[in-house]
Amino acid sequence: MSNEVLRVEDADIYVAGKKILRKVNLSVGAGELHIVMGPNASGKTTLLSAIAGVEPYEVKSGKVMLAGEDITNYPLHKRVEKGLVLAYQNPPSFKGVKVSEILKWLRRKFGLDSSFTESLAEILDIHKLLGRDLFSGMSGGERKRLETYLTLSIMPKVALLDEPDSGVDLDSVGRILEAIKLALKHSVSVVLVTHSTHMLNLVRPLTNTVHLIFKGHLVFSGLYDEVVPLVIKRGFEGAAKVLRGWS
Amino acid sequence: MLNKNMAEAARKALSKPAPYGPDVDLSKYDVLNPRRIEPTEILEQERVRDASGRLGFTPEMVRKAGYVQVNEAYLASALVESLRKQGVVVMSTAEALRKLDIAREVAWTLIRPDTDKYVATAYLYGKEQGYFIYVPPGVKVRTPIYTCLLITRGMTAQLLHNIIYVADGAEANVVTGCSIAGLHAEALHIGVSEFFVGKDAKLTFAMIHAWSKGAVVRPRTAVKVAEGGRYVSYYMIYSAVHSLQSYPKVTLGRNASTSLYSIISGEGEGIYDVGSSATLAGPGSSAEIISRNLAKGKSRVVARAEIVGESGPSKGHIECMGLILSDTAYISTVPLLDSKNPEATLTHEAAIGKIGEDQLTYLMSKGFSEEEARALIIRGFLSVEAPDLPPQVKLSVDRVTELISSKGHG
Repeated sequence: MSNEVLRVEDADIYVAGKKILRKVNLSVGAGELHIVMGPNASGKTTLLSAIAGVEPYEVKSGKVMLAGEDITNYPLHKRVEKGLVLAYQNPPSFKGVKVSEILKWLRRKFGLDSSFTESLAEILDIHKLLGRDLFSGMSGGERKRLETYLTLSIMPKVALLDEPDSGVDLDSVGRILEAIKLALKHSVSVVLVTHSTHMLNLVRPLTNTVHLIFKGHLVFSGLYDEVVPLVIKRGFEGAAKVLRGWS
Repeated sequence: MLNKNMAEAARKALSKPAPYGPDVDLSKYDVLNPRRIEPTEILEQERVRDASGRLGFTPEMVRKAGYVQVNEAYLASALVESLRKQGVVVMSTAEALRKLDIAREVAWTLIRPDTDKYVATAYLYGKEQGYFIYVPPGVKVRTPIYTCLLITRGMTAQLLHNIIYVADGAEANVVTGCSIAGLHAEALHIGVSEFFVGKDAKLTFAMIHAWSKGAVVRPRTAVKVAEGGRYVSYYMIYSAVHSLQSYPKVTLGRNASTSLYSIISGEGEGIYDVGSSATLAGPGSSAEIISRNLAKGKSRVVARAEIVGESGPSKGHIECMGLILSDTAYISTVPLLDSKNPEATLTHEAAIGKIGEDQLTYLMSKGFSEEEARALIIRGFLSVEAPDLPPQVKLSVDRVTELISSKGHG
């Protein structure tokens, strides 16, 4: 792939010393949307966290390449500087740390594109959260919208979004989808983990590739219509069997 | 000048230890005779700039301070003239006791000279060094009155008696910085402070301490707040000490209120035994005591807080939080609620912990280095909503908060 920005090569992925995923291969092009699907506890968060470099998730063999650079051994914050950012499924709450303070810091560090961040803030309805403590006392929708905003605002090369739509009201899902669309337009590649049929339906026209994870393996990467309808019809195990001859 | 009975009692108390904090041999420190000096004589000294700089006080702020005490020498600056036009008095306590009835009336009425050996020493040997601030009835002094108490010579005993009297309906903001030149200097600082807040008056008092590894610090503070009055205290220490022990006591009349904030950043092998006490003596009175305590190195921090509900209805709340930044540090919180009235509603919350790994990792996942993430979390921990602080004072507080958080490693 000529415009490839993220490549995971033969990666064995461990959590606290235990192998969770085997020989993962993944390739994401610039401005592409990739969906990662799989049953609960199949390793979706593990995959995203290991790519992002979050401890205790670890790529022990194989490589993570970002825009041609081997970042496998880079620390977490260094990967962000290189343009790879993870949006947490459940970000922790902070007391006394204002949202505005984080944004000020991000602006200083990454020199944010103000027209992009303004549009993003409007789409995600962030302005009223600026004076609040980071994630403290926020509703599910507010937390997810803010986490999506913090992740996308630096306009990374690759954004890893871990279930940005879970526990969220319909309005917020719509806003998060619009934010993803805006990011894609600006050539941000998005790897999205989602369980929700609603979100899956919404992103169908935007999706380049769907990856199916099952029993510790990335069993199939293919087009939306090859994977999603099959999963809906036969479940993850059934789909894995059909697509990869899994038994 | 000394009251015979008080002096007699003080002499007997010269070996009386304080109930809290390590006992200290005071005999090794030098007590010097107070003298009045000209601004140029001390403000140009490098060691004065060093000591005041550690408080975040610029030379300009020191020059404009209402009262500056360096070791045994003191001066009242030109700003006093502008305050005097409003009837405000800022002078040394010794001078006030010679000239003003109000000073003689109130001095040593809130703190007995025989309280402990430290107060007794200040009473007997301090020669009433320290500042006296008087704000007449109804006068609202918006600009903060800065006072600066510095030690620049090793083994000095700085013995001070400070009095603030804010008369009925008046308002004042006082910022006191106490510091020492040199990070290793040995010295003794005893500051006896008696504050009077009149009916419907308000006093906001911010105190910033930056001491040294060898400094023994024993502030003794008592505050009386009359009906409808408000007293706000914001105390910060962010340096090493040998030992610091302080337990200010505030007594509140009918409908009076107080907010007592303290930010303690312990480091080195220092002992920090710091508390606040409020007595809800009048119906309708209320008190909140909020402290944030950091402990690094081998420091030991004891955060005390006490609210006594003597009358009702009244309300009191204690919030005492600790953050341990090293395996060898120690924090103890001692919140006490004493109720003598069924209409007094008293509550407290306390928690001690370390910086959450999940918070650190999260911030790093957004591009913060570990050091930056720690600093941000510590700054968040220290940030206390104190709406009464005037903007200029908040700037000083923010500057110190920034300093503490930027060196917030275990």
